[in-house]
Amino acid sequence: MQVSEAVASRRSVRAFLDKPVDPEVLRRVLTRAQRAPSGSNIQPWHAVMLTGEPLARLQAAVAAEFPKGRAGHSIPFHMHPVGIDGVYRERLFGVGEALYNALGIARDDKAGRLGQYARNYEGFGAPVLMLVHTKAYMGHAQWADIGMWYQTVMLLLREEGLDSCPQLCWADYTNQVRECVEFPDDHVFYCGMSIGYRDPDAAVNNFEVVRAPLDDVVRWQGF
Amino acid sequence: MTMSVTEAVLRRRSVRAFRDTPVSLETITHILETARMAPSGCNFQPWEATVLTGAPLKALQETLLAAQPDDPMEYDFSEPGKHEKYKARLSSLGASMYGTMRIGREDVDSRTLFAQQNLSSFGAPVLLLCHFPKFMKEAQWSDVGMWLQTIMLLACDEGLDTCPQEWMGVYGKTIKASLGLSQEETLLFCGIAIGYRDEDHPVNNFERERVPLSEQVRFEGFA
Repeated sequence: MQVSEAVASRRSVRAFLDKPVDPEVLRRVLTRAQRAPSGSNIQPWHAVMLTGEPLARLQAAVAAEFPKGRAGHSIPFHMHPVGIDGVYRERLFGVGEALYNALGIARDDKAGRLGQYARNYEGFGAPVLMLVHTKAYMGHAQWADIGMWYQTVMLLLREEGLDSCPQLCWADYTNQVRECVEFPDDHVFYCGMSIGYRDPDAAVNNFEVVRAPLDDVVRWQGF
Repeated sequence: MTMSVTEAVLRRRSVRAFRDTPVSLETITHILETARMAPSGCNFQPWEATVLTGAPLKALQETLLAAQPDDPMEYDFSEPGKHEKYKARLSSLGASMYGTMRIGREDVDSRTLFAQQNLSSFGAPVLLLCHFPKFMKEAQWSDVGMWLQTIMLLACDEGLDTCPQEWMGVYGKTIKASLGLSQEETLLFCGIAIGYRDEDHPVNNFERERVPLSEQVRFEGFA
């Protein structure tokens, strides 16, 4: 698959088919993704790939905590910028509205919205969940490196006919992730990524994803 | 030229010798338009950039040559280099890179001279400078990384090459002043040099190492 096609066809898939993923394909993708760049060649990314029973165990642990709402959350240190407003707020609400509209869930249907949100922690039916972690002392530059690797994985998955949903929300349940999955104490947990085959017919996989116009983010000099 | 994702991931390398062939505005615009579809948590799209070529780029490079590095930098990319495991990765990269140019470890002058070429982006005709609001947190830095890697892979798709340059971050304040960006509100992260690689230059042909997958990824629950 051509790069531009992979970039254009990648979307956060929120309904996966009940179809297993060949672990050899995942190994191939992840081995190739090792070629992603990083400042000073640090390669700061780490991941645990879960499927089957270990994945079900994590999902059950989060499901048990979910009804507590925010009271059950860990405090993710890395997720939300303080004082987001204006354009960022609009972008956040824009995607939320597009998603709930596609599903026919009204703004005042709190239970409906919460139910859809809870589907995050079932990985939207994806058979594989990748959990990403890194050394706690990594600085901002290394977080950007992790992003470069992370997007490399998503684009390579497209080439294999696979889809993904990058999910920051798993960080709200860092405690449950740590209880179910072992990684070193001096690491921090970043996020999850659900991996599988998209349900092409699901409305939630077909609403238009809006992005800011190029002129809002790029300035040109000398052209 | 079109390229599959895998080909682009394998072809992409930090190019440190560019030819002086110009890059059209149309091509860069096409890349950046397509890269808008990169993912970001909450759809924040935290990335911003200024793209320079021609006289404005030349003027900036002259300013940089006369400027002092920020002390301290506005962000820190050096922490992993203080730890043995990551220091080894950096040293190995340096050994390969300078080795291929027959510049010895003790030849500090030649090494410094080569590193200085970062300031002229190794002769690339286009420089993208990536900046964004200072309030962005780790997760948004990762988003920025996803966007930058999307650009680098799309550049391959167009037969172009890139060099991501954290080096530019060392001159953040000078660059922000030159570009008219807010010193208080904006952070200058890095540059992406864009152009056509000099295929024959040894610095574009040494082998770059990556750690084996098993050091960074663990599989659980797979048959």
